[in-house]
Amino acid sequence: MSYIEVDGVTKRYGDVVALDDVSFEVPAGEFVIVLGVSGSGKSTLLRTMSGLLQPTEGRVVIDGEPMTSPRPEVAMIFQQHNIIGDMSAYSNALSGGIHRTGFLSSVLQLQDSSEKHRALDALDTVGLLEESEQKARRMSGGQQQRVGIARALVQQPEVLLADEPVASLDPGSAQSVMGYLRTASEERDLTTFCSLHQVNIARKFGHRFIGLRDGKKVFDGYREDLTIDVIDDLYGDIDTEGMFVSGGGRSDEANEEATAT
Amino acid sequence: MSTDDERTETEATAGRTNSEHTPTGDGGVTDETASNVPTRIRDQFEKIKQTRRRRAVGWVALAGFLVFSTIQAFAATELLDPDARLGTFVDSLSEFFPITFYFDIIPFLDFAQYISFMRHENLLYDPEIGGLLFQWPPSTADIYAFFFTELGIFQIFGEAGITLAMGFVGTMIGFPFALVFGILGSERVTPFPFNFIFRGTMSFIRAIPAIIWTLIFIPFLGLGPAAAATAIAFDTIGNLGRLFVDELEEIEDGPIEAMRTTGASKPQIVFFGMLSQVRTAFIAWTLYIFEINVRIAVTVGVLGAGGLGFIVTSQQNLLQFTNMMATLISIFILIISVELFSQRLRSRLRADDIEMSLWELITGFPRRMAESALK
Repeated sequence: MSYIEVDGVTKRYGDVVALDDVSFEVPAGEFVIVLGVSGSGKSTLLRTMSGLLQPTEGRVVIDGEPMTSPRPEVAMIFQQHNIIGDMSAYSNALSGGIHRTGFLSSVLQLQDSSEKHRALDALDTVGLLEESEQKARRMSGGQQQRVGIARALVQQPEVLLADEPVASLDPGSAQSVMGYLRTASEERDLTTFCSLHQVNIARKFGHRFIGLRDGKKVFDGYREDLTIDVIDDLYGDIDTEGMFVSGGGRSDEANEEATAT
Repeated sequence: MSTDDERTETEATAGRTNSEHTPTGDGGVTDETASNVPTRIRDQFEKIKQTRRRRAVGWVALAGFLVFSTIQAFAATELLDPDARLGTFVDSLSEFFPITFYFDIIPFLDFAQYISFMRHENLLYDPEIGGLLFQWPPSTADIYAFFFTELGIFQIFGEAGITLAMGFVGTMIGFPFALVFGILGSERVTPFPFNFIFRGTMSFIRAIPAIIWTLIFIPFLGLGPAAAATAIAFDTIGNLGRLFVDELEEIEDGPIEAMRTTGASKPQIVFFGMLSQVRTAFIAWTLYIFEINVRIAVTVGVLGAGGLGFIVTSQQNLLQFTNMMATLISIFILIISVELFSQRLRSRLRADDIEMSLWELITGFPRRMAESALK
């Protein structure tokens, strides 16, 4: 059974081709990481999958329905967090379930208590239960991103899309945010689709990897297929040696040896 | 090595471009550089010189035009041949600023005259209403009467209170309309040609000053504070709505997109994605417009709508310049108080620090006041 189906998606902005005939299928429950340099089309792919953008050609089908506009069962986490700075972490988390409430009750926060418990539960999942009454703007970047994850979880999605969720964070926060993302998607059995540019983090957390270069899919495979040659192909001539340092898996060490030779 | 090469090359070029020039061996440095300049550089230099000259001519022409038109404007405003009466003006000044002699020798401004008029006309304080609140021992019935039967919160400030209330009511009525017009005038909410229905309406309202709106509403509500407050409310829609539209142009797309992906409805996207980004700014702008509205309330009062503005005209008509000055001082006190209040509130809103509690606000006031005075 394939849950996400990306079928020949091409996206053009004038003469610029951001995505060039990208196709793949993702079965339910996989944790997929999209790799590629800046400008390789990762963001465009995720935004097309979320329904924020419409592809020029091809289509994205999630759960048997084409994505023509954003849907509540597909949640998105953004690089710039995009949480509401003026509201508390709790109110932000609560706003994830907004599609289940009417305008007035969402504005006055008159949701029923099961909804409110869900928001607190999501904040607990990302380790922010104690900080839930803090104003989001006063939080650190890593905390803000975790609030973003909590909001996505309250949405009760089946698919979680994360567009470079850790790109603006320091390495420590990046690891912890990715950890929370991974935990959340495992606990709730979500199909997760996450774009990254840090190879070491990607290797640590991903099941499956899709590589983009200049808008084309150049790699699609599981952990064991992601070799140093693939990385070199994705990232071109830059020195990829440092990307394999942290991580700790056995395959990492093998690759480090490969790099050394 | 390479510099030597370059030098020979320049000398060669110089020889080519300026064949008459004979090198003088050691030669004067300035002379050499002047004549050694290649044609391309000299051409560029000439071009720049030309452009600068043309620009200078343009500036002179503009200055000439400004002087010429200013003189015409002076003529149109009869300032070239003014009907000046310096003597009368000096006489009126001595009435504006009455002089008294302290201890029969020290000449000083006679504040007593101002104060007596302020008290006589209840410019800043109405003792009848205030008496309900400030009496010893305090009477619960009177305090109740002050708040609920006399509705004295504004009236306690006498004429200034009426002016303040006109500005306040105008802001309060105008705000919701300004909010609706501002949001609907934003291109993100209403698609392009249609948002101009709302922007156009606001432009139309702004094109007519509040004092003219008062004239328009006088047949409807009669000459008085009611017409003035309505006119100010109208004016607020135009001005505050415009500020709201401008503020909404500046917001980021991120939160809006985030709310779209959560499956929010259109009103929810507007409220959570857009308005949440501008809430502080909107409150600050509203306070700013409130400041302006109190000033406008003085102006429309001059028409006869009541409050301090009306006292100014009536005393001017009676040629009671001392009383007029007393009213002007009252206006000054009112406006400055409103501005201080609104600016403190706005800077507190904008400053993103931990909010002070009310108690801290009151007890810490003398210290903060002293600190800012010593700065």
